[in-house]
Amino acid sequence: MRAAWAVARKELLIMLRYPTWSVGLLVWPVLFPAGYVFFGRALAGPAGEGLAAFEARAGTADYVGYVLLGTTLWMVLNSALWMLGSHLRMEQWRGTLEANWVSPASRFGMLAGAGAAQVLQSLTLLGVTLIELRLLYGLAPRGSLALMAVLLALSVLSVVGLGLVFASLVLWVRETEAMVFLVRGLFTVFAGITFPIDVMPPWMQAIGRALPLTYAIRSLRGVALAGWGWDQVKVDALAIACFGIVSLALGIGLFRAVERMARQMGSLAQY
Amino acid sequence: MSARAAGGIGPVSGDGVIVARDLTKRFRRKVARSSRLLQRLRGRREGDSGGTPRDEWIVAVDSVSLEVRPGEVLGLLGPNGAGKSTLIRMLSTLVEPSSGRAVICGHDVLEAPAAARACLGVVMAGERHLYWKLTGRENLHYFATLYHVPARAIPDRVEAVLERLGLTARADELVERYSTGMRQRLSLARALLHDPPALLLDEPTLGLDPQAARALRELVLELKAEGRAILLTTHYMEEADFLCDRVAIIDHGRIVACDTPAQLKRRLAAHRLFRLELAGLGHDPERLRARLGDLSVVSAQEDAEASVTRLTLAFSNGRHDASDILQVVFAEGLHVLGFSVKEPTLEDVFIAMTGRALRD
Repeated sequence: MRAAWAVARKELLIMLRYPTWSVGLLVWPVLFPAGYVFFGRALAGPAGEGLAAFEARAGTADYVGYVLLGTTLWMVLNSALWMLGSHLRMEQWRGTLEANWVSPASRFGMLAGAGAAQVLQSLTLLGVTLIELRLLYGLAPRGSLALMAVLLALSVLSVVGLGLVFASLVLWVRETEAMVFLVRGLFTVFAGITFPIDVMPPWMQAIGRALPLTYAIRSLRGVALAGWGWDQVKVDALAIACFGIVSLALGIGLFRAVERMARQMGSLAQY
Repeated sequence: MSARAAGGIGPVSGDGVIVARDLTKRFRRKVARSSRLLQRLRGRREGDSGGTPRDEWIVAVDSVSLEVRPGEVLGLLGPNGAGKSTLIRMLSTLVEPSSGRAVICGHDVLEAPAAARACLGVVMAGERHLYWKLTGRENLHYFATLYHVPARAIPDRVEAVLERLGLTARADELVERYSTGMRQRLSLARALLHDPPALLLDEPTLGLDPQAARALRELVLELKAEGRAILLTTHYMEEADFLCDRVAIIDHGRIVACDTPAQLKRRLAAHRLFRLELAGLGHDPERLRARLGDLSVVSAQEDAEASVTRLTLAFSNGRHDASDILQVVFAEGLHVLGFSVKEPTLEDVFIAMTGRALRD
């Protein structure tokens, strides 16, 4: 626990030493959804006549809220996933991975600390985003905030597991960019961040159903925009929890295997 | 296959704090797929039925055995690529041995790696092993936690090592503003945070200016006096000579000699040079050679202006010494203006043992 806290504190301190991070934090949550919102406005027509078709598919005519929730979750979970996934790579790049790993602290404890720092950053991003979206787009969630928090916590858990998987793969292949683009692309297209996934061909929908982000977005949208209760989201919540458990177990197993392989190959310090 | 299973190494005995027994590391050097494909295509075109290039196994460390006792500095002396850093990485649990056994304070690095790491302070080569965007103090606070220093003891412990390494005045500056010497001192401060009985120092003075290197060497001697076992790698022979109780000469992954610096140099008695300055000109060195059969004249110079003859002599075997030369010189009635003996250096020992210079 102490190692986890030390790593989280260290990562946050380093982040604060790069103040330009705050510019991205303020600007990106507003800019990112703007393109989708205006695109939707263009498609809806001057009097919004196209919205009926959207409502028939998505279950809500509030396409702005629909897009904003999708892009916000995408940003928050994506940043948690990649910051954790690239943590070990970052330590290699800094030259500090070996210095950490010659200490007797638990390596999982250190990774958990990195995960905690990323989650805290993501929650900060979420908080800032929600405030900005309220002020600039008038987004006001209707449903239970507690239920949304539970769904978000489960979503973060699944992302931490995936982050561990990617941290291991990054340690193995010593390259992050290709995987970042692959999975970010999958999440962007297949998880339905700006449209209901049933507009995609069946094979694409099948891929979408294999991504935890799809369930996170759908359930949180339902709660925030349509006021869904637990009964309506419990299946999605269960799916997200299962993703979390499986990805955590997979991440831990993979990390152990890759860490051993890196010690055998002597590649810990290589980048 | 585990190192234990492969090596069949028995229990490690003795009072060594850092112990290696038949430690070996082999790395596979992969041939790039593109090279294989290219070679295969070229072979077909030229009708060559020879095989495609295969992965190679590189032996980085080859059956190394050593033991460092409390209060002892053992130096690993060898050129770049000799296997020094790989050996340090195996002892610090960063690289898994292919075979053999390594034990730190009684803890096997494969069976109880965390316990072994808790006994070790490690200074890796280079200056990138610190967080440059944290201050020196923040770095030490962070690593003190990783080394299980009790939370309440951390501020005092950090203050103590900062003071000891002379970093207190700059402790609250970002490490990116430190000089190379300060970063190296901070690395050593980090290695001392948990008061470890064993230290692994990989090229601790690399890149330091002479003054900083000297200060660091004096500190290493202090740490030795405190009873710590220190394994130090270097390719500076003067450093090895100055700091080490014993020096292990490592080349191509093998320890080719291990002894005190004095004993190692004594093995090269034939490399001892005798410099003789005689009054007057026209001396015939062959007259000396006639009296001492294994004496060779390395050089003979005459300084006509000063009317002095300077001879550099050596024995081809180690049976004679300085007194033999002086006896012959006096018997010949020569007037000696000066006489000195140049002992062989560790570099001479290294060349004699490996056939190449340290910086080759």
